[in-house]
Amino acid sequence: MIEIGRLCLKIAGRDAGKKCVIVDVLDSTFVLIDGETRRRKCNILHVEPLKNKVELKKNASHEDVKKVFEGLGLKTRETKPKQKTEKPVKKKKVSEKKKDVKKKTGKKKETKVESTLEDKAASAKKEDKTASKKTSEQVKK
Amino acid sequence: MAEPYKRSRTLRRVKVKLASRTTVHYKQRKPKLGTCGVTGQTLKGVPRELPNEIKKLSKTERRPERPYGGVLSSKAMRSVFKEKARKE
Repeated sequence: MIEIGRLCLKIAGRDAGKKCVIVDVLDSTFVLIDGETRRRKCNILHVEPLKNKVELKKNASHEDVKKVFEGLGLKTRETKPKQKTEKPVKKKKVSEKKKDVKKKTGKKKETKVESTLEDKAASAKKEDKTASKKTSEQVKK
Repeated sequence: MAEPYKRSRTLRRVKVKLASRTTVHYKQRKPKLGTCGVTGQTLKGVPRELPNEIKKLSKTERRPERPYGGVLSSKAMRSVFKEKARKE
């Protein structure tokens, strides 16, 4: 009874109660099935053969099985191929308060740097002036 | 005298140790285990919880993912489908 092209009823698992056809006999215990069930390796004990038999080649493709099942008025199980989607890139969320704080701190730093530079320049000028005055006084004396 | 619902055994008693004393809490009993409608054996893969706990589970966690899952045992289901196949 277990031969290629034999229509069967799956009697175990989540595909139980669905019709399938034997596509290949793998060994004394396992067969390859396809049809209303998913295309898979299956134990002979989990399948109940029916009276009907269809003509199928060994290892027939899913499309061939589909054609045969359409002729019998049955539907095959179709699985949609998964669509590739890009991984979403996480953007770091910064709250408005933190943004404001950052801006303020950034400005302060800039102003500080400017002020320090200006101060240095002014102090250097002053020192130069005092030095020149001293030298002029010494010369006068 | 205690309240009537505390005098009957409908609620189960749970002893709870507190810091100062031990008290008794009254809790609802769990339902019976699920059994097969044909063979009567206990069903596997069916949680024994109160309805409010089962509500929190996903549909696949509530019963096996096969025809008659949560109603018949796998053996009984197989015999049902075998009969169906042999009648065809």
